[in-house]
Amino acid sequence: MGNDYRVVIIGGGIVGCAIAYHLTKLGEKSVAVFEKNYLSSGATGRCGGGIRQQWSSLNNVLLAMRSVKHFERFSEEVGMDIEYKQGGYLVLSYTDEEAVEFEKNVKMQREAGLKVEILSPKEVERRYPYINTEGVKMATFCQSDGHANPHLAAFGYARASQKLGADIFTHTKVVGLERLCDSRWIVHTTNGSVKADVVINAAGAFSREVGKLAGVDLPTESYRHQIFVTEPLKDFFDPMAISFSGNYYMRQTKHGNFVMGQGDADEKAGINYSVTFRFEKELSRKMARIFPFLRKLRIIRHWSGHYNMSPDAQPIIGESPSVRGYYYAVGFSGHGFMLAPAVGEAIAEMILYGKAAHVDVSDLNVQRLKGGVVKEKNVV
Amino acid sequence: MVETDFLVIGGGPAGLSAALEASRRGVKTLVVDEGIEAGGQLLKQTHKFFGHEGFYASVRGFEIAKEILNSLGDNVDILTMTTVTGVYEDVITAYDRNADKMIEIKPRFTLIATGASERFIQFENNDLPGVYGAGAVQTLMNQYGVLPGERVLMIGSGNIGLIVSYQLLQAGAEVKAIVEIANKVGGYEVHANKIKRFGVPIILRHTIKKVVGDQRVEGAIIVEVDDEFNEIPGSEKELAVDTVCIATGLTPSIEIAAMAGVELQYIPELGGYVPYRDENMRTNISNLFIAGDVSGIEEATTAMIEGSIAGLVVASECKKLDLTEEIASMKKELSEFRSGPFSEKVRSGLKKFSIDYPTYSYRDSVQRQEPPKGKLVPVIECNQAIPCNPCQTSCPTGAITVSGNINSLPEIDYNKCVGCGVCVMKCPGLAIFMIQENAENNTDVVVIPWEFALPEKGEAVIALDKDGEPVCEGEIFKVVKSSNKTHLVYLKVPTGHGRSVRNFARLQREDNRYVCRCEEITEADIEKAIEQGFTDFEELRRYLRLGMGPCGGRTCRLNALSILARKTGKKISELGHGVFRPPAMPIKFESLLKGEKSHGE
Repeated sequence: MGNDYRVVIIGGGIVGCAIAYHLTKLGEKSVAVFEKNYLSSGATGRCGGGIRQQWSSLNNVLLAMRSVKHFERFSEEVGMDIEYKQGGYLVLSYTDEEAVEFEKNVKMQREAGLKVEILSPKEVERRYPYINTEGVKMATFCQSDGHANPHLAAFGYARASQKLGADIFTHTKVVGLERLCDSRWIVHTTNGSVKADVVINAAGAFSREVGKLAGVDLPTESYRHQIFVTEPLKDFFDPMAISFSGNYYMRQTKHGNFVMGQGDADEKAGINYSVTFRFEKELSRKMARIFPFLRKLRIIRHWSGHYNMSPDAQPIIGESPSVRGYYYAVGFSGHGFMLAPAVGEAIAEMILYGKAAHVDVSDLNVQRLKGGVVKEKNVV
Repeated sequence: MVETDFLVIGGGPAGLSAALEASRRGVKTLVVDEGIEAGGQLLKQTHKFFGHEGFYASVRGFEIAKEILNSLGDNVDILTMTTVTGVYEDVITAYDRNADKMIEIKPRFTLIATGASERFIQFENNDLPGVYGAGAVQTLMNQYGVLPGERVLMIGSGNIGLIVSYQLLQAGAEVKAIVEIANKVGGYEVHANKIKRFGVPIILRHTIKKVVGDQRVEGAIIVEVDDEFNEIPGSEKELAVDTVCIATGLTPSIEIAAMAGVELQYIPELGGYVPYRDENMRTNISNLFIAGDVSGIEEATTAMIEGSIAGLVVASECKKLDLTEEIASMKKELSEFRSGPFSEKVRSGLKKFSIDYPTYSYRDSVQRQEPPKGKLVPVIECNQAIPCNPCQTSCPTGAITVSGNINSLPEIDYNKCVGCGVCVMKCPGLAIFMIQENAENNTDVVVIPWEFALPEKGEAVIALDKDGEPVCEGEIFKVVKSSNKTHLVYLKVPTGHGRSVRNFARLQREDNRYVCRCEEITEADIEKAIEQGFTDFEELRRYLRLGMGPCGGRTCRLNALSILARKTGKKISELGHGVFRPPAMPIKFESLLKGEKSHGE
């Protein structure tokens, strides 16, 4: 371990690794990542792996569009095949009210330059005869949405940043942050201490605790989300199917497994890695009805992870207004994987150039939450 | 109508050499060749040639073709993808496949250098896909990069059978066996040794009886023969192969010569019917010459010399030059090359055309010095008189001598040797090794000429003897890459084994040793990932999808942990056991739904 870095990143998930990658790629080699467990051990390695640009807030749309640019070049640029597939996101609506919202969203998304289609239930059936469209009011579809393997993406960024000079320490927990009079940091870890100019909180589900280490109170709360996966079938199911009103999402990995999940409004805030049989029952009943081909398929693994929720379900990105030299990229509210490439780039640019160059993220700073909150609705 | 001084039919070693010698002396020459590029059999030959430096010894065949083609000047035109179709009273015709048209040629002199065809043999099912001639195998493999099969039976142990077997090994195929109908190996001993030390058996007094298979070769039945080459009933054995490669000899391609009116004579020693020619390579038609395999089956170096003689004779007559000296010196070359025991057949065949070669004396047995202990020195395992001397000419200190005739066996003076290893790289037969007995720490060092994928320094290997049998464990401690592609691999073995070790087998990183059968992840996959830095068990699992199949890691978890422990030097208990996730066995959606009902009601 070196004892002095320009930038220390707390968290070895996709966000931390993406920041490390973009920093080193832009020439900042003095970077350390501290991960208390192993790379991708938190939400990254537990998430659904979807990459969606169809959002209700413009900020999310723009960030996601920028991310897709990065995902499209990932294998070539970062050097790892991450099983990326642009099979589109099919967003199904089951209520008239939501359908109206969707039409509004699509207008905004199209203005942002995204190619989105509005599909009738009939058209959905024609394209995907294996989906039962009973109760579907309408759907939207964006072909350039897709999915990838989140573990591989995190490993890819980590390996590439290491090659470019970053140090990554796993099984090393940051236990304290100390401010020196020259406004540098001492980062105390379970394996020793290092100095740093800049500290970045990319701690996902643990963002609030890591915020407290620097005296920064972040308005984030973590909620358990469960997910399960089936044995693999031949790859035939192209889109990621998702519904907010129907409360589900499902994709088939390039390897062939079906990964699916739903939200639970009764979850209490807090860290909880256990799983419930109720979830298995509810989700399998629902999914077997909508996707009848699943009936004979077997579920092989069921686990949980956490959404680090912000009050408006949009990420909190930027430098702390009260503690300079302390950055965060937290509160992704279940969408950190898909936004990480663009956010990693934006944070790296902010640190090195004072301002994000590709996507304007100034609206995503914590200060926005002081006034009223306009909540992102497109969340399962 | 194309008019030219000199038409060369066939751009192989003989034709190109003739074109080179004639055109250098002002003779306007046209070479017509069937191939996509000129070079003939040279293009397929990846082995280093025997002979001496003047005739490309230690250079690989395809590189010789390049060298000759590069030195041809403006006086030579080459028509490729063009086949001579007839020698008529008025013109010689050729078909140009590129332009799809006939060409008429009127030359003053003509050389027929059409080479040879493979002799096929008859056995049951020899028309099944998977039965190849050795030439086709070489073309597929060495020119087009296509491996014709994975498990090969080679028929015939002449030089072609031996060389192609070695090339098949280099290309990654398994050569199950070479069968040879005679009671001794037909080709050079050094070529045979190259494949024996990879454990390929050469089964003497055997031939192929039939090929087994429905749509393609699935196996082959070989049978022993008696002194009259009759099959011995009951001696059949079946070999599981997908390819049978036939290398049972060649016969001169005499069609064009015959059409031209050249006298033919049946001379079995030269491969069948051969066109008459004198020692100037002139046929009974005064402006028509032949050279190379069409004039008698031999090999590429003598083909080049014959071609050169024909080219010189044509130049002397066409340009009225006195080339007596040059021609005489080429003939002397040829005579020396043909003085060894392997040329006995050719010599007796040529006698029938009244071409007589004097007998030379050469050293055909040698009592070599014992290699001194403690010093790294070459051991020469070349015990058959073949025309070859690069060991002598490449030795920078003059320690190796091939005295007198080029067929003589090499001798070595260890007092002059500095252990540089150049002879090991140069020897076309890969018959020189280096050993250092009692090197240090109770080890012997063996240096092996290596033309396969390079091992890594520090790699543990199994040391093999000259028959490919395991001797002991060894370690690679140095790899010297050579520009001629015969690399030197330095191997350390326990003292006492240096003298017997002649090869090594790399510890198989088999790609079919599955650890995680659900996800088809092999031991090699896991080792590779660990080497890439995935040393955390959880990261390793997620990177490879290890244990993420229906069994939930039941069969692979501990095995994968053992591999990780072995590779990282950690204890399994330090590595952690990874997570366990429900359900403990795969559960159908349907079963979940049924349970839901019975309990809900």
